[in-house]
Amino acid sequence: MSGDFQPLADELYRERVLRARRTPPEERVLEGPRLFDYACAVTLAGLRSEFPDANELELRQALRRRLEIARKLETTN
Amino acid sequence: MADSLEITTLVVAALSRCDVPHVMVGSFARNFHAFPRSTKDADIVLAVDAAGLNRFEIELGRDFSLDPQTTFETNTGTFRHILIHKATEFKTELFLLSSDAFDQERFRRRLATSFNGHRTFVLTAEDVIVTKLRWHRPKDVEDIRDVIAVKNAVLDWDYIHRWTEIHGTGAKLDEIVRTIPEID
Repeated sequence: MSGDFQPLADELYRERVLRARRTPPEERVLEGPRLFDYACAVTLAGLRSEFPDANELELRQALRRRLEIARKLETTN
Repeated sequence: MADSLEITTLVVAALSRCDVPHVMVGSFARNFHAFPRSTKDADIVLAVDAAGLNRFEIELGRDFSLDPQTTFETNTGTFRHILIHKATEFKTELFLLSSDAFDQERFRRRLATSFNGHRTFVLTAEDVIVTKLRWHRPKDVEDIRDVIAVKNAVLDWDYIHRWTEIHGTGAKLDEIVRTIPEID
């Protein structure tokens, strides 16, 4: 990252850390699945736009394929 | 259709009802000790025999299926079953507690907590760091950085250093610590 932006990036990171410290851990763990469900909803909306003639089952299958790709990328990186 | 929060809650509740000794690892543990990130699946280590695993599967009911094949997970060196929620294909990876000294130690040190009202257990922050240093994939490096940034003041550094010395991961840890900006 360019040195010009490093102080800003550090400040944003610091704010994120301090916010996390104020949030009970039991609440933080619930956010993980919620964020995943939100990401899936957004991806499904994108797939609907890309494949307007696809039915719900086909869209779900396309979503599963994308999730598999994401899993493989995570384990191979 | 069930969402992943609901599915994970069903799994944790079934573990609790069956009294299966377990610990939540992976992104669950990371989110517990740092800040939330999206979790694509749940990873759980179980101390259970075949009969116990069968009882757990029965308790979960017909909405789930447990892959009967045990696979060897090369990243962690442990045996793994995949639990699938049939309607959504949301995966829960079930790792069997191994005889590895660190695997045993982190299981012994696990913290009691709750997930959506159900009793469960999670790795300590120190054990998230030591575990992820062994894997050292890009996302693990980010996770280690985040856990240290959030929990720095309360970490048992002597414990961490003992295991990084055994695993030969001390230099990797030092490199990550250097990238953390001053927080307090």
